[in-house]
Amino acid sequence: MSRVAPLALRLLAALASLCAAVAPAAAEELDLFAWSEYVPQSVLDGFTKETGIQVNYESYASNEEMLAKLLSGAASYDLIQPSEYAVEALVKEKRLLPLDHAKLPNLKNIGPEYWGRPHDPKLEYSVPYMQGTVGIVVNTARVKEPITGYADVFQEKHRGRIVVVNDAREVTTWGIESLGLGPDGLTKANLDKVRPVLARWLPLVRVYDSDSPKTALLNGDVDLGIVWSGEAAFLIREQPGKFAWLLPKEGAHMYIDSFAIPKGARHVDAAHRFLDYILRPEVGAKVSKEFPYTNPNVAARELLSPAERANPASYPPGNPKLATFRDIGPLAADVDKLFTDLKARSGL
Amino acid sequence: MRQEATAFAAAASPSQRRPGAAGWLLLSPLILWALAFVVAPAVIMLVYSFARRGTLGGVVYDFTLENYAGVLDPVYLRIVVRSLVYAGITTAICLAAGYPVAYLIGRASDRWRNLLLMAVMVPFWTSFLIRTYAWVTILKSEGVLNSLLLSLRLATEPLGLLYTPGAVVLGLVYTFLPFMILPIYASVEKLDAALIEAAQDLGAGPLRTFSRVIVPLTLPGIAAGVLLVFVPALGIYAVNDILGGGRVDMIGNIIENQFKGGARNWPFGAAFGTTLLVSFAVVYATVGRRQRAVPGAG
Repeated sequence: MSRVAPLALRLLAALASLCAAVAPAAAEELDLFAWSEYVPQSVLDGFTKETGIQVNYESYASNEEMLAKLLSGAASYDLIQPSEYAVEALVKEKRLLPLDHAKLPNLKNIGPEYWGRPHDPKLEYSVPYMQGTVGIVVNTARVKEPITGYADVFQEKHRGRIVVVNDAREVTTWGIESLGLGPDGLTKANLDKVRPVLARWLPLVRVYDSDSPKTALLNGDVDLGIVWSGEAAFLIREQPGKFAWLLPKEGAHMYIDSFAIPKGARHVDAAHRFLDYILRPEVGAKVSKEFPYTNPNVAARELLSPAERANPASYPPGNPKLATFRDIGPLAADVDKLFTDLKARSGL
Repeated sequence: MRQEATAFAAAASPSQRRPGAAGWLLLSPLILWALAFVVAPAVIMLVYSFARRGTLGGVVYDFTLENYAGVLDPVYLRIVVRSLVYAGITTAICLAAGYPVAYLIGRASDRWRNLLLMAVMVPFWTSFLIRTYAWVTILKSEGVLNSLLLSLRLATEPLGLLYTPGAVVLGLVYTFLPFMILPIYASVEKLDAALIEAAQDLGAGPLRTFSRVIVPLTLPGIAAGVLLVFVPALGIYAVNDILGGGRVDMIGNIIENQFKGGARNWPFGAAFGTTLLVSFAVVYATVGRRQRAVPGAG
């Protein structure tokens, strides 16, 4: 024991000095809390090189995970990357700092269709980063008949050949849209109406995957998917001619992932500098090349190659009008329960 | 064998000698660790489980029992039952496959024993998630196993192996098998060969020797192995997501979804977690008591 105690003390001392070494190195920093695999390293490096501001990139895999960590208050973040319904909820709860537009001259690059959206109409709190849609991707080598909407995907003959995102709200909304109730039709009363639709659909699904639904399609385990547009854009880019993309005729919606500054941020000025940096056309184009979602930065779109701009999953032809999700508050728990129930019944 | 048995016993009976000041000092890191990382989180979970859901997630401190009522909802009970079935099958296969291996390792010569033990442990050097994704590469329709079957003409078209209940059980057994082998090995290693010889001298056949002498003497290892496999298999959520294609939700998925998924219902997740914790404690105590009741096991 007499040998162990000093060792423990030495370890403690070492730990203390380690902490001391880490703490005061606060030159200028930016604590970025963003989706995993969503901000290219080259963009972060470029920002640090130009401004000397060190970026600490911590990542999350869902809006809910981000909210959970933010609410716990265990760490302070300078920039978060919520989707539109999370922006709406955060604004409602007064958790965001208003942006100083004077420090964001490049905000003019954001396309007009991203202004006036219900979650943040004047972009007072959020800067759109990337926009995606949810649509249908088809392996045309294996599926010959035309697919136009959700009802075509969920047919008995496609049993065991479908991948969908593992997202209760998404899947439930598709059912609502197929009933003609619109993307805002997610209400307690409509949950009963949509139940039989989903009860018919879910047993046909082979894979639920929100993180990388493209994998099951690439591996040839499934032939049809209802997935994020960026995933489909990736498939179309990697295996040209094999995959087709379309927006379901019953109705489609989009999501907008934005940057926002949460209350309690310690480097508000650095956060603004980062936002304006990322709004530059050439930086926005760099992001697009790595993550082929729809770029709300129209000046950045100009810098993309014709092939990139012709990718229908990134830039759907005809520029269709798409709705966004609203915050549904406690109804989210009911939606989750419905989805969990039907999945368990149709499961294994 | 004695070790496990006394570990179970120590939980209930106060030790004979009280530790001195030096003993407490030595124990203090463990006690602090347990307080900070076992007791405190459990208390927080308990408190949350009686609260209400906040708008953004989080909790509103407003006493309610509805979260526990929710746990008993048929929707979730169905998933609890399914989890018990999957964990039970996994445990049974691990026991059937792991016992002979553990016995062999325990009875092997020193050189072989170390080599074989190493073989059991080597997979731990790679991240569990990477090993699970490796199974995707093996099982997928254009994967290693299917190419092999096709080239050997054992199959005419790719088999749908991935995203099936079989793939989930395979993944669970693969993940937890070492946790069955190691404690049983520890019991087998301490097995007194003289007792086996005595049984044989007294006319017991191999089967009788096994069932009347070897199994009772290695029971503490079996019990530890069953607990080490069954309990984590019940709460795991990654294997069934990756190999089951997210179709086989288990208890772990339900809890995860309350915190990181769309439900944003922390108190309900906490109630589920508390229920699970209490059930485990009951199972553990029951197994521990039965252990002490078995004559010759201590």
